[in-house]
Amino acid sequence: MDRGEKRLSKVTAKNQLQGKEIKKGYLDEAVHGYNTRTAMEEAARCVLCYDAPCSKGCPADTKPADFIRSIRFRNFKGAAATIREANALGGCCAKVCPYDRLCEEACSRTGIDRPIQIGKLQAFAVDIEKKFNMKILEAKEATKEKVACIGAGPASLSCASRLAREGYQVTIFESFDKPGGMLTYGIILSRLPQDVVDFDIEKVKELGVKFVFNTKVGQDVTIDDLKEQGYKAFFIGTGLWKPRKIDIPGADLKGVRYAIEFLKEARSSKGEMKVDGNVIVIGGGNVAMDCAATAKLLGAERVTIVYRRTIEEAPADIAEIEYVQSLGISIITKYAPKEILEDDGKVAGLIAAGTDDFSELKLKADMIVFAIGQEAEDMRKIVPAIELNENGTISCDIAKGFTNIEGIFAAGDIVNGGKTVVEAVAQGKSVAESIMKYLSQKEGVN
Amino acid sequence: MANKADLSIEYLGVKCENPFFLSSSPVAGSYDMVKKAFEAGWGGVFFKTVGIFIADECSPRFDNIAKESTPWIGFKNMEQISDKPLEDNLQAMYRLKRDYPDKVLVASIMGSSEEEWSELAKLVTETGADMIECNFSCPQMTSHAMGSDVGQNPDLVREYSKAVSSATDLPVIAKMTPNIGNMEEPAIAAIEGGAAGISAINTIKSITNIDLEFKTAMPVVNGKSSISGYSGAAVKPIGLRFIAQMKQHPLLKNIQMSGIGGIETWRDALEYILVGCHNVQVTTAVMQYGYRIVSDMISGLSYYMEEEGFEKVEDMVGLALPNIIPAEELQRNFKIIVDIDHDLCIGCGRCYISCFDAAHQAINWDFENRRPTINDECVGCHLCINVCPVLNCIRPAKIVWKEDWKITPEEINFKTRYE
Repeated sequence: MDRGEKRLSKVTAKNQLQGKEIKKGYLDEAVHGYNTRTAMEEAARCVLCYDAPCSKGCPADTKPADFIRSIRFRNFKGAAATIREANALGGCCAKVCPYDRLCEEACSRTGIDRPIQIGKLQAFAVDIEKKFNMKILEAKEATKEKVACIGAGPASLSCASRLAREGYQVTIFESFDKPGGMLTYGIILSRLPQDVVDFDIEKVKELGVKFVFNTKVGQDVTIDDLKEQGYKAFFIGTGLWKPRKIDIPGADLKGVRYAIEFLKEARSSKGEMKVDGNVIVIGGGNVAMDCAATAKLLGAERVTIVYRRTIEEAPADIAEIEYVQSLGISIITKYAPKEILEDDGKVAGLIAAGTDDFSELKLKADMIVFAIGQEAEDMRKIVPAIELNENGTISCDIAKGFTNIEGIFAAGDIVNGGKTVVEAVAQGKSVAESIMKYLSQKEGVN
Repeated sequence: MANKADLSIEYLGVKCENPFFLSSSPVAGSYDMVKKAFEAGWGGVFFKTVGIFIADECSPRFDNIAKESTPWIGFKNMEQISDKPLEDNLQAMYRLKRDYPDKVLVASIMGSSEEEWSELAKLVTETGADMIECNFSCPQMTSHAMGSDVGQNPDLVREYSKAVSSATDLPVIAKMTPNIGNMEEPAIAAIEGGAAGISAINTIKSITNIDLEFKTAMPVVNGKSSISGYSGAAVKPIGLRFIAQMKQHPLLKNIQMSGIGGIETWRDALEYILVGCHNVQVTTAVMQYGYRIVSDMISGLSYYMEEEGFEKVEDMVGLALPNIIPAEELQRNFKIIVDIDHDLCIGCGRCYISCFDAAHQAINWDFENRRPTINDECVGCHLCINVCPVLNCIRPAKIVWKEDWKITPEEINFKTRYE
């Protein structure tokens, strides 16, 4: 064991002492779940508020106050039902929600000591659903109109689930070969194990939602083709997949990578992808933290995160920041990339300029991963006449999802410019209501 | 934890270094166990009950009641009296008294006939024990001529107390069962039969939990289970009540009591002393935590006595008795209205829910600011204080007189919350 490893095991041990139980393997989930006893203990800490603020803090209306009370009164199955009924991706949200900015931030218990660990209780309840093979949602017989959802990410899955429950015939068209979108390709396994994603999707499939993979709408099949096949409404939930780039010298060198394709390759390889040498990750969000952790866990010697703002301003969850730090990854703040240094056509290092216009940073690097956000692909390839915002996202009412074209709806990252899973779920769910209203009344042009 | 006052107290003429005893139970069943307990600081021991009857125990034999994150709030035990040969137990008691002459050894006995009680009394007297406790109260004996079936019958209690007292010179203590409405009757019968002291309470007949798979009580013994004794923190209120009622009875007020039931801390022990006990006996807390808990009992009680200026444990015995009065004698001409500290309040609304659903709709809820306020309906019941999760957030604020005549507020002493 070298010094670094010793230090790392010390940090890990410390985190274990603090009850965080952080693991170090790429395929391992970072945080242990609750068992019935520890779940009851945590639920007993809940003060069971009147008009509970945590429930108001959930964009998808997952009703944490209700499911925690069910756990507290030992109705674990009831807790699981509350979650699944409200949130088609309750399992995934339990793992990746930014609780510290949503329900847990609202938690009254914070006034006494610290908030209830709502995400972990949610994961516990979803585990119960799985353990007892519960069939919580029921779909009415699929006799209503055919609806096509484009993209198999959180927004589409949520929308499709809601529609299928009401008896619509829903098909999801996905350009990749697996469902889940960012859940399957864009988040590190230690935060979101694949079986959690698969379980939520299985629940959507059980409602009769059909999936067509390896099919890019606008390229392999057009909206008009689908209309001919009898589809009466369209939901665009493609998400944002085009990496945002910055134009600095060396940006096209070999060794420059972009976050989502990097994470996707790592996940698809099931941890077999090799990373070595010095890795720099540019960015301060959860995706940047995931890239850094992935690089470190897959073998990089040294991983450094360079972020242009302060740590307080970083959009990453505190838990994710603590996690990468526990892995020995350093985060350098208030530096922006200025130039990528070259050696023999490959990345050799990074020069970053301090935001104080004085400091300068020069770091050795074998790989640089940009994790500074994603942009929309050209949505006009799917719907030529669709109205877009300046940044390429679809222009529409977020809650209702009406686009400028009758019968075409949109939600999720492709509308909101890239937010959380739970917000995509919430929007997918509420836009499903618009679609149902549209199909039953044939209304809905802007 | 070094604080050690003089905690010695005389019980039935025997000097005890402190009032902390192990009760006659699984925690006091052999020489080695009691030796370790003495060395940990226990003042004495009621050795596990011996009899002509030798117990044959079931497996498993325990269960516990958990409330949210707290296990062992109550404990169920199916063990009977000693399952060791009588000779071995007599030998152990003899060696303990020989090796620890300053510790107090009480021999606990249980017979099924006058002859057995008498014979057992003679045998244990010969070991050198300081006192004899008659176990009239074990609720899980496999013989109905023994245990709490006896303790519920004052005539048998009198008869057996007499058999034991006649067979020994040692002070005799009768251990009472709580599986009865009025404990004074068998206690008086024991005294009439010659007993000098009373121990209470033995365990309460119980079914702690029903297993949903086997559809029987816990613990499940090959698909079946039995009613048996309940102990632990949950039973303290019942033990305190029985002791206080006995000590308030004219025929029992001068009888020295040994308190048992749910004692875990020095404070629990002190509460038994305040209702009139000269010492206390502990089992369940030792089963859960071990003999070591006595050190905090000794230290904690010493600190309390220092704070309050008590020099002897004896001086605290029974101090609560004059203040425990019949409900009809309580003063009822005032109500203490509460106020809610909005700075401490965390906005959970629990007081609002409980006041509306279970009291007098005396709290208004401000949805916007998430704060409760007391309205004119408050009757001073203090349910809100009982449910509030924040210490001292809801506080008694003013005394309102129900009638015209008044006494000055300084004369009103009250408290809602046990901290």
